[in-house]
Amino acid sequence: MSKTTDKTVVKCLGFCGFGMGANITEVDVKDGRVARIRPLHYDRLYTPEELNYWKIEARDKTLEPGMKSYPPPLSVGYKTRTYSPNRIPYPLKRVDWDPNGERNTQNRGKSKYVRISWDEACDIIASEIKRIHEEAGPFSILAQSDGHGETKNVHAAHGCQTNLLNLIGGFLKQARQPDSWEGWYWGAKHAWGMDPVGMQTITTNVIKDISENGDAILYWGADPETTPWGWGGQFASRLCYWFNEIGVLSVFVAPDCNYAAAVHADKWIPVLPNTDVALQLAIAYVWMTEGTYEKDYIDTHSVGFDWFEYYVLGREDGVPKTPEWAAPLCGVPDYKIKALARYWARHKVSIAHCNGGGYIRAAFSHEPARMEVYLLGMRGVGQPGVNQFQMIEWQLMDVKTLNPLPSCSVLPSSEHAYRGATMDLSEPFVPKTMIHKAITEPEGIEWCGHVIAGIDRADQLIPFEYRPEKGKGIRMIWSDAPCWSTCWNGGHEFQDALRHPNLEFVLVQHPWMENDTMFADIILPTSTTMELEDFNVDCRNGQWNAIAYEGQAIDPVGDVRTDYEAVGEVAKALERLGGEYENLYERYTQGNEVIDWIEKGFRGCGMPDGDTADFDQFVKDGFKLFPTREDWAEMPAGLIGFYEDPENNPLLTPSGKIEYYSSTLATRFPDDKVRGPVAHWIDFAADGHDDRLSSERAKEYPYLLVTNHPRWRVHANHDDVPWFRELATGKVVGPDGYGYEPLYINPVDAEKLGLVDGDIAGIYNERGMVLGGVILSERIMPGAVSQDHGARCDSIVVGMGGLDRGGANNLICPSATTSKNCAGEVTNSFLVGVKKVDVFELAKQYPEEFSRSYDPECGRILDSMIVEE
Amino acid sequence: MKAFLIDVARCNGCHNCQIACKDEHCGTSWMPYAAEQPMTGQFWCKIDEKVRGTVPVVRVTYTPLLCGHCDDAPCMAAAKDGAVYRREDGLVVIDPEKAKGQKSIMDACPMGAIYWNEKLEIPQKCTGCAHLLDDGWTEPRCVDACPTGAMQFGEEAELDLEGAELLEPVAGLGAHVWYKNLAKRFVAGCVVDFDAREVVIGEHVVLADEGGAEVAAVDTDEFGDFMFDQVSAAKYVVRIAGKKFDADATEKDLNLGDISIK
Repeated sequence: MSKTTDKTVVKCLGFCGFGMGANITEVDVKDGRVARIRPLHYDRLYTPEELNYWKIEARDKTLEPGMKSYPPPLSVGYKTRTYSPNRIPYPLKRVDWDPNGERNTQNRGKSKYVRISWDEACDIIASEIKRIHEEAGPFSILAQSDGHGETKNVHAAHGCQTNLLNLIGGFLKQARQPDSWEGWYWGAKHAWGMDPVGMQTITTNVIKDISENGDAILYWGADPETTPWGWGGQFASRLCYWFNEIGVLSVFVAPDCNYAAAVHADKWIPVLPNTDVALQLAIAYVWMTEGTYEKDYIDTHSVGFDWFEYYVLGREDGVPKTPEWAAPLCGVPDYKIKALARYWARHKVSIAHCNGGGYIRAAFSHEPARMEVYLLGMRGVGQPGVNQFQMIEWQLMDVKTLNPLPSCSVLPSSEHAYRGATMDLSEPFVPKTMIHKAITEPEGIEWCGHVIAGIDRADQLIPFEYRPEKGKGIRMIWSDAPCWSTCWNGGHEFQDALRHPNLEFVLVQHPWMENDTMFADIILPTSTTMELEDFNVDCRNGQWNAIAYEGQAIDPVGDVRTDYEAVGEVAKALERLGGEYENLYERYTQGNEVIDWIEKGFRGCGMPDGDTADFDQFVKDGFKLFPTREDWAEMPAGLIGFYEDPENNPLLTPSGKIEYYSSTLATRFPDDKVRGPVAHWIDFAADGHDDRLSSERAKEYPYLLVTNHPRWRVHANHDDVPWFRELATGKVVGPDGYGYEPLYINPVDAEKLGLVDGDIAGIYNERGMVLGGVILSERIMPGAVSQDHGARCDSIVVGMGGLDRGGANNLICPSATTSKNCAGEVTNSFLVGVKKVDVFELAKQYPEEFSRSYDPECGRILDSMIVEE
Repeated sequence: MKAFLIDVARCNGCHNCQIACKDEHCGTSWMPYAAEQPMTGQFWCKIDEKVRGTVPVVRVTYTPLLCGHCDDAPCMAAAKDGAVYRREDGLVVIDPEKAKGQKSIMDACPMGAIYWNEKLEIPQKCTGCAHLLDDGWTEPRCVDACPTGAMQFGEEAELDLEGAELLEPVAGLGAHVWYKNLAKRFVAGCVVDFDAREVVIGEHVVLADEGGAEVAAVDTDEFGDFMFDQVSAAKYVVRIAGKKFDADATEKDLNLGDISIK
């Protein structure tokens, strides 16, 4: 009998959501509380032989998977989220929202809340749904039901409500675009196919290939020590060390010396935010003029290269794209561009990515993505040592070849247990990037494609529109993903939309009082994964795929329900209204208890003996691993098939080859000057974007803001974790004791701005201002400033032109999408001004907003938002 | 005798050790080994973070710091009533009950590895997770949580201590937290022919001490770059193609930037 643990459960503490689990851990419980969260030691159940333990041997060294999981601090510290003082303790109603009278929509984001019972809350919700059904129909209810965060399955954090709404006529969908890899989706696919993600999706054994044949890896806009954390843990870190150890040169190309560059870089090539295209063009110019690219390969593996050559050499516009031309645009000296180009031409170089960053989330992001494919083509991509691969999201969307590590014998899925939102292509829907416009623009909106991440390239050609009849637009939102304003495009504009009189009812279900939750009329408090029982998978660890039975660790914290149960409560309340809602709860659960769903998940996960496997033993063990494929080492590496025989291994482009000229885009979008048939350097204002340093706007807003995916959060998650906030790179404590989101500024710029370490500064543009705590750092190049995105909103002035104390810089992102035919988000590399602020002066100006309840350890908390009625 | 071995070159800065330590001790009492640690402000395992160099030669070095469990532990000497004791396995533990009010225990540590708990009025520090070791664990939380293998824990005689060092403040006290690859200094730069607008590849670069004696030499790589890594903190002279450049790396790492040799 252990003295330090009463019981142990397995939990997959990945934060992707969508039923795509990761970060398998063990959770020890003592005296009814979570005592610790720790790596899972696989040897509790398995020997290396049983797992067909893989090894990659190269250059007299060996890479091994190891026999424990490698969870990130985001998982290890997770109990602080379960026990956060900012947990919503019981259902709440906005004090000045009366469903039978004055709704005061303009006060959302400012009003306080009163406690109500679950029954009262669900009765109001049910009657509101019924009223809207009768007055406008089901499609006036928008479900915001996608998002990252806890990856639960039966109790899916996102989308339980869609199962209910689908039973009663449907709902308006929010189509979530590939927000972390926009450019690959909207651009690269048109150059080389690679559905569904747009990055190289055939990456089997690429790690082995580079280990044996590669000279260098370009980590282009990639930070393997940050973005993989929430999605798969820290095996990516071990890979970086492996390549360091065997002498594969690690070159990082980004405006910032990111967390991986900081420990793994042999070279850091700082490039100004979203100017990579200029650098890429100059590299192509060097190769073309020095004759150092794979001409034979271009002849046999590509189409339209002459169009690209025509542009690069300056025959199209009279401007040869020389290194001297590129240097002032991208901030990389011409002689260094030449050196990089020549090194690349002489060596076997692969490119690594792991989502996020200005490279792939900025305006016109399809251009750098296509340009990278062009360069890879010029290097004969697919030959040994030359591939593109990901350090994150291995086997995403069940694509087995989207995994550069040794292949596993089973790729399990949680789909039979999963009760969340799915990739539903039925209409009506609105792109997530245009939700605010759908609420406020009665004349209607237009876009192309279903927009949902994971849809094939040709879908992007279909035109869609949202033009509801008068009175039948969006009148209610049911959100279980209340973080739009700190994660998506143009948050201040979205805050205005949330307060629009069209929007009669905003319902949020969520564990914490944060971000858009504070705009809700009714709030249903939900539990965290520690408080429930579930089924899960881990297919992202880089070692072996796993399934897990997740026992309930602790009792619910507060008067809360799981997401699945909370929606069930609404089903019961609707059922009480009779009519079309008859027997709704049973229809919602399909007569299943939670354990039934878990068993369905287990049996249907995809393992060969699912029908007969011992479920009770699985529940007792807590997890099951699947061994490495017997033939893994013989599987062809990356794009070698295409390299050797393109005719029989075609790409998913119309020609089956790399398309330097996309006839699809030329035919379908002949007037598109931004995403034309051949990728270009776009230096003019277009499609709602004007964020070049050469722009007139740059006189007023002279810095390009880098807003990377955060180191100490997953988007909006984890901002309240005290153990991250107190880190040197966590929060900067201002003179008023408030923890401000770090704002990194190079000392050269800081001197110009009169800023010193620890100052509080505002970053601003026409869309408003957010605050940050200044860190002078050599980790950001001059001309750019950097503040991670996803900090919790702490709005002082709500809406367009507003002011945010929390540093939620998505509030001042452009609202326009990637380009006019690409409904992606632009949440990086936009122009801002930077100025010092006096927080005491601001506190005098906004006394109420500056005196809200604040916990120095975890930040803003909900206490002052709840009143007695 | 238990000991830690930390390879700084394998520390990726994820802070898992620091967070796992807090996960174990913040808000949870493990009496009689340790009283609960406050949620913030104490770091029984602490990552020290240093940003080194200038754009574009920048590195961050992370060094996990924890109690040395020293043979001549000043905290033990400062303690009254046996409030600090050494276990049979060598771990030095503060008895939370006996140590109440004894601030001198905290003041005695030259590493600053002991913290004062205002609420409980006790000094607190790393216990080596003695409560877990006594409950069947083979290593403390920080080591278990380390994803890169940068931290090891075990019998001192069984650890590979070749080339390992102790941290300066506790080196003379018989500490048992050993380090490999502790950061020294680097001197780096890029050699450029500005007339030709080309980096200079294969240029011989010599790092010499103040007296002119050669310390190290290297040829510039395919990017025109040179890097003298892990050199001692000192004043140097860099010699390239008959030219000399002062390189004072006494206080900090040096990136000499893009150097013209014409």
